[in-house]
Amino acid sequence: MEKNKKFNFTKILAPIVLVLLYLFFSIFGRNFFSDDYLINILDGSYYIGFMAIGVTFVIITGGIDLSLGTTMMCAALLGGAAFNSWHWPMIWCLLLVVFVATAIGFLNGVLVAYLNLPPFIATLGTQMMGMGFGAILTRVQTMRYPTFGTPEGWFKNFFYKTTAGFPVGIFWLFGFFLIALILLSKTKFGRYTFAIGSNREAARLSGIKINPWLTGVYTFCGFCCGLAGIFYAAVYTSIIPSTGNGMELLGIAGVVIGGTSMAGGTGTLVGTLIGVYIMSVLKQGLMSMGLQSHWQTFFTGVVVIGAVLLDQYRLKQGAKVKK
Amino acid sequence: MKKLLVVVSVLLILVSLSAFVAPAVAADTPYIAMISKGFQHKFWQTVQAGAQAAAEKYGVKITFDGPPSESDISVQVDMLNAAMANNPAALCLAALDTESVTEQLNTCKEKGIPVIGFDSGVPNAPEGSIISTASTDNEAAGALAADQMAGIEKVMAAITGATKDAPIVLSVISQDATSASITGRTTGFVNRMYEICNEKQPGLVAVTGHDKWKKASESGDVAIEILVSIAASTSVTDCQTAAQAVIQRGPVGIFCTNSGSVDGMLSATADGSDLDREKGRYKDLVVIGFDSGATLLNAVRNQWFHGAVTQDPYMIGFYAVELAVKTLNGEKVDPIVDTGCQYYTYQNMDDPAIAALLYE
Repeated sequence: MEKNKKFNFTKILAPIVLVLLYLFFSIFGRNFFSDDYLINILDGSYYIGFMAIGVTFVIITGGIDLSLGTTMMCAALLGGAAFNSWHWPMIWCLLLVVFVATAIGFLNGVLVAYLNLPPFIATLGTQMMGMGFGAILTRVQTMRYPTFGTPEGWFKNFFYKTTAGFPVGIFWLFGFFLIALILLSKTKFGRYTFAIGSNREAARLSGIKINPWLTGVYTFCGFCCGLAGIFYAAVYTSIIPSTGNGMELLGIAGVVIGGTSMAGGTGTLVGTLIGVYIMSVLKQGLMSMGLQSHWQTFFTGVVVIGAVLLDQYRLKQGAKVKK
Repeated sequence: MKKLLVVVSVLLILVSLSAFVAPAVAADTPYIAMISKGFQHKFWQTVQAGAQAAAEKYGVKITFDGPPSESDISVQVDMLNAAMANNPAALCLAALDTESVTEQLNTCKEKGIPVIGFDSGVPNAPEGSIISTASTDNEAAGALAADQMAGIEKVMAAITGATKDAPIVLSVISQDATSASITGRTTGFVNRMYEICNEKQPGLVAVTGHDKWKKASESGDVAIEILVSIAASTSVTDCQTAAQAVIQRGPVGIFCTNSGSVDGMLSATADGSDLDREKGRYKDLVVIGFDSGATLLNAVRNQWFHGAVTQDPYMIGFYAVELAVKTLNGEKVDPIVDTGCQYYTYQNMDDPAIAALLYE
């Protein structure tokens, strides 16, 4: 009974931190407790949320995907090129964004599963490839998506904000989150994801075909990056070539803060989402206190380290329980 | 359990520490939020100093923030959103990219928050959303660099002496083709240089290197190539790569359009020492820089760089806040306030009028 209580406490720690942070900034921040800031917190975390959901699967398998950010930007750049240079209709551009990102995810999967590259190396490679590829194809030109009120600007109203200013993106993120949740907890795909992460050899011996499933996990992560790309484009409009590296760390940090172990085998999507919002509240909150951006970076780092310390503590506790 | 508590309390203590460094906001003084394009160059710190001076003069409170690098559009948009949620009396903005802030500008207009542009401001902003802009006329600044470069005897001799069998290269290095200030300088330089060269060598001048400025020579033959080089990203390493590539072409003159590309040039030439007039590897290469900063000033003083164009960052910051205050007081202000630019060399950089514009 005693042990059970402890376990629950670590589980609800992340939500508690989230609430405490929100309260803290509501008291000390300028106008933080307002619709404006709430919407800012949501808007600023769509793309991170999608990336984090995708990479949660990858991290549960014991892998890592460093190409999240550049995959997202590369896909968004190509979609932008399709819109600006090739004059495709918006819907096809958006599909292209998802397709490109899914393809890069598939490539990651093949490299990791079939060619046995360490995930860190494979995705480091595709990170750079994606960054370069986007820049090459767009000839290092910034790609701009249509803005509100322009004929093709519907996609912003559809994915980002209604004309009245309601943040519809939140429905998309939560809707997709629910789908991912079902995928992870109720399907074969999810069960195998955990199985591969906790003991790959045991999973193989029990008859799971590791390679296709692992490829599937990375491909799914790529697909999530594609969605992230659409939302990035909807919120920020302009995509600069050769950017995106560093953004993967935001997604990974969200997963880690949410309590998914980098060792693989365990992890929750709920935690990931909370982790993403902890970062977002922290970022917006520090801004509401008038602190310059360096402070946000600094404190995000502090939170990540705190979360990893927690992760280790959890592992230890887990080991104790097993005994 | 104990450990957990320690971790949580450490986090909370660290976060609450920030309460002490956060500037106190008095309710009665007007609050003006300034969002710059960056922090990484000394330039912005001088802008901030000017803004602070104006804030003290007029008794307003300002906050000054900018993204960590000039590629971080999303960071700037988030900052702008946060600044707007803080209910400022006015906003001063140097946008990295106009399209990405269009929606925010419209919201400011609806809410009645006046927006003042500074530095590159907000080019092509929606009608009526920007009250006024305090900035350098960047095309004029680029043209000034071209005039100064062509005014150097050695360069003029090369221009007049070039033939299609022995063509020469004149180059401009920019860190991006996105921001209005940098494209403005690039355009100003390219156009004026084209004019000057085409007068001496009619029909034999081509602009190469980037689609935006590309221009084939009128006759098809090329005696003078104006090479536009845009770095792959705004990082110093990419600017350095761009500079190295240009140097390999053996150009007669190079114009670097901002601190970023100047830094790239300096790191490509062993901090400028390769440009030493007597024993440097590239002793005949004429380089003109932009803005200032300790390393560039040193390079100009040693004559490694022929000279540089300087803006007046202090006045940019000062005017931005002054324009915001005037607008809040209901005064009418001009849509554009030129904050001026000057060319300096090792000879005049210590004149009081010039030295006041330079910063370490």
